[in-house]
Formats: sequence, C-alpha cells, structure tokens
Amino acid sequence: MKITFNRTKYLLIGLCTCSLLIQTGCWSKDEIEELSIYVGVALDQAKETKLEAKLGKLAVNANDRKLLSVTLQIVNKQSEEKGGNSAGDPATKAYLNVSETGDSIIDMIRQLSTRMERPAIGHHLKVIVINEQLARHKSMYQLLDFFLRDNDIRPNCVVMMSSGLAKHTLEAKGNSIVPAFRLMGMLENRYRTLKIMPRMTLYKLEKHMHAESSYMLQNVVAAEGEVKLSGAAVIKGKTQKFRGLLNEEELLGVILLSGEAEGGIIKCVNEKTNEMIAYELKAMNSEIYTSVDGDNVSFDVKMKSEGRIIEDWSENSGPIDDAYRAGVEQSVEREIMRLAKQGLDKIQKEYKADVVGFGTRLSIEQPKLWQKVKKNWDQAFSRIPITYSVELTITETGTEKSQ
Amino acid sequence: MINNNTDQITTAQAAVIVSNFLLGTGVLTLPRVAAEAAGTPDVWLSVLIGGMIAIAAGIIMAVLSKSHPGLTVFQYNKSLLGKWIGGLISAAFIIYFFMLAGYQVRALTEVTSLFLLEGTPSWAIIIAFMWVSLYLMTGGLNPIARLFEIILPLTIVIYLFVMFMGFSIFELDNLRPVLGQGFMPVLAGVKPTALSFIGVEIILILTAFMKQPAKSVKAVVYGTAITVILYLITVIMVIGALSVDGVLTRTWPTLDLVRSFELPGLIFERFESLLLVIWIMQIYSSYTISYYAASLGLSQLLNINLTSCLFALLPVVYIISNIPKNLDVLFAFGDLLGNTAIYLVGCIPFALLLLTKWKKGSRG
Amino acid sequence: MNDNLLENLSLIQEKTKYYSDVVVRPFALGDSGKAGAIIFVNGLADRELIDQHILKALMSIHVDQASITKNYIKNQVLSVSQLTEASSIDEFIPKVLLGSTALVIDGFSEALVIGTAKVKSRNIEEPISEALVRGPRAGFNETLSDNTALLRRHGENASLAFMSIQVGERAKKDLIIAYIMDIADPDLVEEVRRRVLKIDIDNVMESGYVEQLIEDNYLSPFPQVQSTERPDRVIAALMEGRVAILLDGTPFALIAPVTFSMLLQSPEDYYERWMAGTLLRLLRFFAALISLLTPAMYVSFISFHPGLIPTKLAISIVGARVGVPFTSLVEALIMEVAIEILREAGLRLPKPIGPAMGIVGGLIIGEAAVQAGIVSPILVIVVAITAISSFAIPQYSAGISLRMLRFVPMFCAAAFGMYGVILFFLMLCAHVVKLKSFGVPYASPAVPYRLSDWKDFFFRMPMFMMKQRPEMLHTKNQKRKRN
Repeated sequence: MKITFNRTKYLLIGLCTCSLLIQTGCWSKDEIEELSIYVGVALDQAKETKLEAKLGKLAVNANDRKLLSVTLQIVNKQSEEKGGNSAGDPATKAYLNVSETGDSIIDMIRQLSTRMERPAIGHHLKVIVINEQLARHKSMYQLLDFFLRDNDIRPNCVVMMSSGLAKHTLEAKGNSIVPAFRLMGMLENRYRTLKIMPRMTLYKLEKHMHAESSYMLQNVVAAEGEVKLSGAAVIKGKTQKFRGLLNEEELLGVILLSGEAEGGIIKCVNEKTNEMIAYELKAMNSEIYTSVDGDNVSFDVKMKSEGRIIEDWSENSGPIDDAYRAGVEQSVEREIMRLAKQGLDKIQKEYKADVVGFGTRLSIEQPKLWQKVKKNWDQAFSRIPITYSVELTITETGTEKSQ
Repeated sequence: MINNNTDQITTAQAAVIVSNFLLGTGVLTLPRVAAEAAGTPDVWLSVLIGGMIAIAAGIIMAVLSKSHPGLTVFQYNKSLLGKWIGGLISAAFIIYFFMLAGYQVRALTEVTSLFLLEGTPSWAIIIAFMWVSLYLMTGGLNPIARLFEIILPLTIVIYLFVMFMGFSIFELDNLRPVLGQGFMPVLAGVKPTALSFIGVEIILILTAFMKQPAKSVKAVVYGTAITVILYLITVIMVIGALSVDGVLTRTWPTLDLVRSFELPGLIFERFESLLLVIWIMQIYSSYTISYYAASLGLSQLLNINLTSCLFALLPVVYIISNIPKNLDVLFAFGDLLGNTAIYLVGCIPFALLLLTKWKKGSRG
Repeated sequence: MNDNLLENLSLIQEKTKYYSDVVVRPFALGDSGKAGAIIFVNGLADRELIDQHILKALMSIHVDQASITKNYIKNQVLSVSQLTEASSIDEFIPKVLLGSTALVIDGFSEALVIGTAKVKSRNIEEPISEALVRGPRAGFNETLSDNTALLRRHGENASLAFMSIQVGERAKKDLIIAYIMDIADPDLVEEVRRRVLKIDIDNVMESGYVEQLIEDNYLSPFPQVQSTERPDRVIAALMEGRVAILLDGTPFALIAPVTFSMLLQSPEDYYERWMAGTLLRLLRFFAALISLLTPAMYVSFISFHPGLIPTKLAISIVGARVGVPFTSLVEALIMEVAIEILREAGLRLPKPIGPAMGIVGGLIIGEAAVQAGIVSPILVIVVAITAISSFAIPQYSAGISLRMLRFVPMFCAAAFGMYGVILFFLMLCAHVVKLKSFGVPYASPAVPYRLSDWKDFFFRMPMFMMKQRPEMLHTKNQKRKRN
C-alpha cells in the first residue's frame, strides 16, 4: 500500500509538470495594454463619417447593408496617463471615438479590428446612448440584443437616449474629459436635482423587455462638446420602440408620482406674496393605492414629502410663522399637483405607457386581476382613473428665520 | 475491510461534505431553473420546500445507513438484496455518481470558458482540474474532508459578503406578490429545484466512515440546512434584484446578479471574481466527492484497489463530460440526473430501509 | 598497556604520530621516585586545571613509593570531579582527543582519564534571527549544557525530562530530546525517539540535518519541524505538550510537531495584550496570503481578466504598461528574481553595508527600471508589497517556503489566469491537509474543526480563556490551570 502510494505521488507530480509545460501555450492570454477598452457606445441612424466614406471607396468588398452607425468611445491611455500627472489639459484628447456603419453591431465592433492595432473589449462599457430616431424604427430587442448577450459586457451598463445625434453626446471640448465617464458622473447627481431619473441599466431593461412593460430612458442632448440631461424618452412596452419624449417638467412630474425623487428643488410662485419661492425636497415617497370595483380599477397616489425653504424672493421681511409656512406648503403642493398632472396626462393619455409602475402595484395587490389585464396593460392603463394628492411638510427654513 | 480505522471522519466533517456536495452548479442556475417552472416570485418557497424534502430524504438515508454501521451502500446492498440485484443497484449508484462528476466538470468548463478563459480549449481546463482533484483523492477520505472544511467556511463568508453587496440593487417589489397565484406555481417549482439538492445521497457512503455513525442524521440535517439557507439567500437576492422576468432569459443568473452592480472605491469594485473563485472551489468539492464515491463504489463492487480505480476512471469521466453538445443538452442532462436522483435517492433507500427493518424484525 | 611507563609512552607516541596537537608531558611524582606522564590535546584541555590540580598535586607528593596506589592518587591527590579509568591506549586516546587528560604512571597498568575538557562557549546573547520587541533577550548558544541549563532554569524541574542520544556515526554528537513528562503524549515522545534513533549518517552538523532526517515528507515545501533559538519559545512549546530536540554545537533547537498556524505565530502574540496579539496575528495571515498570491493575481488580471478589475484601475494600468516590452509574467519574474537576489546579497554583506545596499537596489533599480520602460510602476508596487509581506512572517523558514512557493502560482496564472491560481490554491490546500507532522495534521487546528483550539489560532484569546492545552496534541494533562 505504502509503495503504491508513493508511486502514485511520483506519477502525479510528473504528469502535473508535463501538463504545465505543455500548457504554457497560454491560449487566452491577452495583455491588457494590447486591448482597447471601450467605455461608451453610441447607436445612430446610418450615416457614414467622411473617413469611413473614403475608406469605403478605397476598400475592396465593402457591401454591408447600412442600417445603423456605431460609435465606440475608447479610452486613450497615453493621454489618460498624462492627464493624471499634470493639472492642465493634456495635449491630446483622453478618448478616441471611432465610428462604423453597417448592419450587425458586433460585426461593426469587430470590423474595427481591421482599422485599429488593438482589438476592442467591452468589459468596461459604462454607457450606451441610442439615437431616438433609430429607436423609433428599431426595437430595443434588436438594438440591445448584442449587449445583453455578450459575456464581456456587464449588465450594469447604463442605457440612455439622445434626441440629437447620439455620437455627439460622446464628444467633449476639453482634453481631459472622457465623455462616457462624464455622463455617468452626471447621473450620480440625482440627490441634487429632480430632473434626472434613476439609471436604467441593462439588467433592468432585460426585465422590462421580457415583461413587455413600458419604461423611460434618460434623454441626453449635446451641443458643442457639452451635454445636458434633459427629459426622458418613453419606450412602449409592446413594441419596445421609442414612443415620445417627456420634457423636463413632465419628467419631474413622473418622478414625483413614482416617488423616486432623492432630492432637489421645486420652485413655484408663492400665492401670498406673488414672488418666487424654492422648496428643497429632502425626503419623498409615494404610495399607490389600488381599488377594484368589479373590473374597474382605479389608483390613488399619495405623495409625501419633507423639505425646507431654500430661497425666497419676497421682499417684506416678516418672521416665518405657521400661517406663512402653511401658505408656502400649499403653493408647493399645488405646483407638485400641476407637475404630476402634466406628467400623468402625457404618459397616460398621449403615450399610453405606464412608466410609473402602476402595473407593478396592481400585480402585487391584485395578482389575479393582473393576470387578466397584463397582456394589454398599457391600453388598459390609459383608461384607468387616477387620483393623486400631496402632503408636504416644511421642516425648516434654512439659517434664516424671516421671509 | 476498506473502512480502516485511520480514515474516519467526524460528524462535523460529514456535515461539511454533505453541504459541499450540495453546493455546486445549482448556485448559479437555481434561480432561473426555479423561476422557469414556477413563473412567480414565490420560488424561494419552492426552494424551501425542496430543501425540506431533501432533508427528509437525507434522514431516511441516514437512518438506513446507520443500521448498517461500517458498511457503505454498495456493501449492504448485497447482503440485503443478494449479489445480483444488490450489485445492480450499486452499479446504478456508481453510474449515477459518475454522471454527476461528468456533469460538474462540464458545467465548470462552460462557466470558466465563458467568463474567465475564453479561447482556452476545454480539455486543458478539465485535465488540470481533474489532476488537482486526483491529487487530493489519493489521500483518502480524511484529507478530502479536511480540505472541504477549509473550503466551506471560505465559501460561506465570501458568498454572504458578495450577496450582501448585492443589496444595493435589491428591490422588494420584485419578490412580491407572495403567493399571488396560489400555491400551485410553488409546487411546480419544487421539482426543478431537485437537481440543486441532489447530493444528499452521499450520506449513504459517509456514514460508513463516521466515528459516530449514530449521529449521521444530525450530519445530514445540518449539512443540508446550510445549503438550503445559502440557496434561499441566493434565490431571494437574485429574484429580488433581477426580478422573475429578468432571470428567465439569463443562463447564469447568480453571476449576472453579481455582474449587475459595481461599488466604486472598494478595492474590488467588481465582485464576480470572488464569486467565481468560490464557485470553482465548490465545483471542485462536488466533483471530488462524487468521483470518489463512484470510485469507492466500483472498488467495493468489484473488489479492486481503490487507487487504481481512481486512476482508471479518469478518462471515463472526461468522456462523459464531453458528451453534451451544447449548454441546452448539458442542462437537459442535468435534469435527467435530477430525475434519476428522485428514484435513486427517494425510492430505493426507502425500500432498503423497510427491508432492513423487516429483516431485523423477522430475525428478532 | 603494561605497567612500564617508558614502553607505554613509546606506544602512545607511536599512536599519536599524526596528532601534532597531542602533548605528552612526563614528570616525577614528588620525591617518591616514581615517574608519570600526562597526555592532553593542546587547546582542548583546560591548562589551568592541569597545572593547578593535576601537575601541582602530583609533583608535590611526599609519601614513599609503596603507598602510591591507584586509589591513593584518585582519592587523595587529584582534586578533580570527573575521573575514569582506561585499561588500554586505544580506549583513552579518543577521550583525550575530545579534551580529557590521560594520566599514566609507572607501575600502573591502567590510565586515569581526567575530564579536563574546556569548551569555549559563547555568551548568552539575544537571538539574531528572531528579534522581539518584548520578551526575554536570551537565546541559545552552541553549547548543549548551556542550553539545557537555560531550559532547566525556567522552573519546570520535576517533570522536565532530557533524553540523551548520540547521533552521527563518526562524529558522535550529543542530542537531547526534551519534553515534560506529565504533559507530552508518550506516543509522540516515542515517535520522536524512534525517528532520531533511525538517523544514520556519519556526521550531524547542525539541527537542520536532524530536521531533514526526521521530517515526514521531504517533498513538501513547508517545514514540518520548527527551529528556534529562543528558549522561551521552546518552553512554551513544551508546556503545550510538544517535544523539543537540542543538538550540541548549534543554537537552533527543534520543536515537533508543528502546524501551519504555528509558523505564523510569534511569542510576542502572547507577551502583548490579547487585542494587539490578535490583530498582529491576523495581519500575518493576511501578509502570508499577499506574499503568496499577489504576483500571481497581477499576472492573471493583466494577461487574462481585464474585465475583473475596476475601470479606473484598468485604465491606469494600461497607461502604465504602455511601452513595456514584456508580457506580465516575464516582467513579474524579472522583478521578483531581482528582489530575491537583492535580499540574498543584502543578507551576506557586512552589517553596515547591508541596508545601504537594500536601498540602492530597491529604490534605484526599481525607479530606473520604470524610467527605462522595462517594467511598469504598478508591478514595482506589487513586488514591493510582496517582499515586505514575506518579511512579516516571523519564522524564517516559513518565509522561505512562501517566497519559494509564490513563483508557482505565477506560472499557473500565466497558463490559466485566475482559474490557474484557484487550482494552485486548491492544490496547496490539498497538500497541506494531506501533510502530517509527527502524526498531527499540518492544517490543524483549522481542520479538522477543534473549536477549543481555535482560541489560539487566528485569534489570540485573552489569557483567562485559554485554559486548555491544544487538543490536537493529545496531552496527558489538558488543563493549564489549577482549577
């Protein structure tokens, strides 16, 4: 027994060494600096860049269908390194945008390998920006399939919509900015303003796509290398196509209704003084109550918020008493009601898309009924009466005690 | 004769082996498998019920083995059912364990080549893995048990840590409504979770090696309970973060959960490497014990040296692992194993137990 | 030997022809008329003793020839404690060569062998290889009797047993197996004795020989016997129920059995308060892990898994590695080997130059290599962290094991990335759990689970909680306290 055991050991060691020696082939090896890390993708309608057109003319056998353009944002390491060292703007841009036009997204990304020395990898993809015109014709199923399927791309990549050319949102004026990171950073600012919606990531999209439910995507517009988050794009559940935009106020209303506000300013005119007053929302939640009467469903949304007066333009500097406070509360409440109505009207009546989550609520409270209406929920939703109310508390008035 | 006194394991070690054997491929696929069958967020209930059933089956098997102290299922089969029928059942168990080993290896290859080593040929992945496992197995059951004792706490700590990090994207609404469509979907989800709980049958073999065979029930209950808890956490976190609809289309939902969040500022930021590390260790332990069980069975059935069994059967497992042509076939293979397990683990031990009691009764 | 002095002397001279350091000094026994001679080795025998207590006493005898008997000389003349008789020249010559003095007297057919060996022993100094901030400053020296005295002096006298065995075929050396009779497991003592007796080698230079000849598995990278030059460490081990082996001629005592966790413990863990002790211990476990796996992780992340590291880090690594002409494995190997060479060179240099050389090597070569674009700055950090971590391991031999081992996962990582590292880790664990040191599983107390031993494992629990001796050693007396 002892002898066989020892023999086993030798055999084992020998074989392990052999296999290690053979295996120094390192099949999957790919040094990190030999790769291009792309952090942003913009999907646009097919439009070749000048460079592409020239290359296309010179190239042999370039007869892809031109369905859409993909722009990859690749982090340019040279400048990133320099950018880290010196405070000023480096000489070259921190990123490199390359565009391809064709029909398959992965094919276009791979096509870039014929134009660049380093192949692109998607492990660090942070943001996908889709042009709204493209999304009007192509469904999310088609546009995002590759991103969901690819094993490199992480499901926490954020998807946004651009009402202009998507690739412009991935451009920046300064040389030290990586536009994809800038977009991500802007989404972090939700605690400062109510005009940014919660990030819509691939894994959340997957859920909506599979459940055929409607949802919003953050809209971003770009001009001269600057970007701005403005409003939201509504995607219809059934078709998974772009339905329409919500402007900033409508988005604000929808965010308030869904209770997803984290912090930000609501400004309105104080009815008593007729001057501008700004309310800083510090905490907020909203409850959707479902009531069913036979087959008639109705919703009641109760919004609650706490906050403070952060700016007041009224000139007669009296002390803030309960009456004044109540007045302000009322004015802000009225403003919130107005915003909510505006948002709700748009999504319910015009777009007929439940992006607030009434359906989720119904499915939780009335699972049986939900099974019946699930199929055509967006249609049903447009006919359901929805009431809403606000309860606002001003907890403080900042460091000023007067109006 | 094989169960010499030096190679005995403690009760804790038996529990750890059961736990490690159970935690395997299921960790990554369970949420999808269960959600597919149940279709409601109540799958965690299915898992709970599945776990209870597994514990019950485990208790039956433990009691059965306890009444044949010092003998493995392959040995007392013969005395209970005679040489031929007993041998046949033993052979069924052996083949089953082999298939299981092959399945584990194949699942490992799939995940590794998808997330870690794209482009590396699967034979290289498998062979390196099998050698490392063989090195351990030549030491006997005791080193196996000790290694498992290292792996399990590591797994639990890291796994809970990773899952806890997932709280950042957890939404309670995804788990509601509870029992919205009654109890039927829950029951429908129970059977598919069976595959995740196959492995309790190892107690049929372990009891023979235990210092205190009387405590085998305790071992199997504790061992399975740990797994049930981990599976519950998995299902709750994955469904809670990705929702039932989001899970259905994902091949490895638990990995997707971990890939779905980033916590910048922490050294790791991305936690799938941690998850993959412990998962590979778990597959290693599952594979090792099922391969060891199969080899042990074969050596006891045919009365040959265990070490030569361990070596001789490597190619067999390698071939088994290469049979499934693609992932779907692999998962179907897994389902087949699960279904087989229901008969092998559920029915046969129960029959054997009755037979044992009857024989004892007639003797006394 | 006959009773004729002159014949004897010529015989002796014949025998010691090739030993130029042997001195034969004839003399007369006072005024008795008898003659004698002493034979000793110059330098080994104590001249003072010979002059004062042998020659002086013998030369001043004032009795007549008849009354000079052997017993008279033994009992009334020589005032020395160690005295034996030898009946042949061949019998006493080896003893003389070890420092004894032989006395042959005309008319006696036996020689008296007087123990005059004087060993020049080093003072008891602070051990260099195991420096502590707090703790006794005493270390073993090269003299066995001094070392046993150090242990004896510690107090546990009644049951502290020293079992003496001679090892080495040609150069016989004294070896002592020390244990505490009513604590140590008799089976363990017997096993140690059996293994020591089996030592079959012509010369045992140092306790390292003994270590290698009694260890369980010579293929293992881990030390299976602990060596230390601290008496307090030995005492502590004896009190736990372990066995110590002391060898003449070396300050390094051996402790067996040893477990993996012991290699990461330092006596200071116990001398400091328990919180500090615990933290230091956790730190060392962490350091061990870092020193083992960091370079491998670097290789696997750089070469295989760019997706598993944070985006910002990935980008800065890319920036740092641009222009580096080597693959990560080669790059890491270059630096790791360089730092090993530096360490080795620094060790051998005279003390005042050593640190300077370390600074020159570490800083300047590292900086220059980065400047020249041969390696990336990130790698320099990785290598530095690895090196520092490996020095945080209190046991020199364990440190060597880890430093040696860390090259293996680097190759695994180069072949399989993180998968390779995991397989290496599993392989290492498999090896450790299979390994035994004198019957005690090397991985204990981690596995198999012995909860009571865990009080002194990752954590060093407060003293009042550690009432039990380690369970894994199967001691005769489990309790550390009276109650």
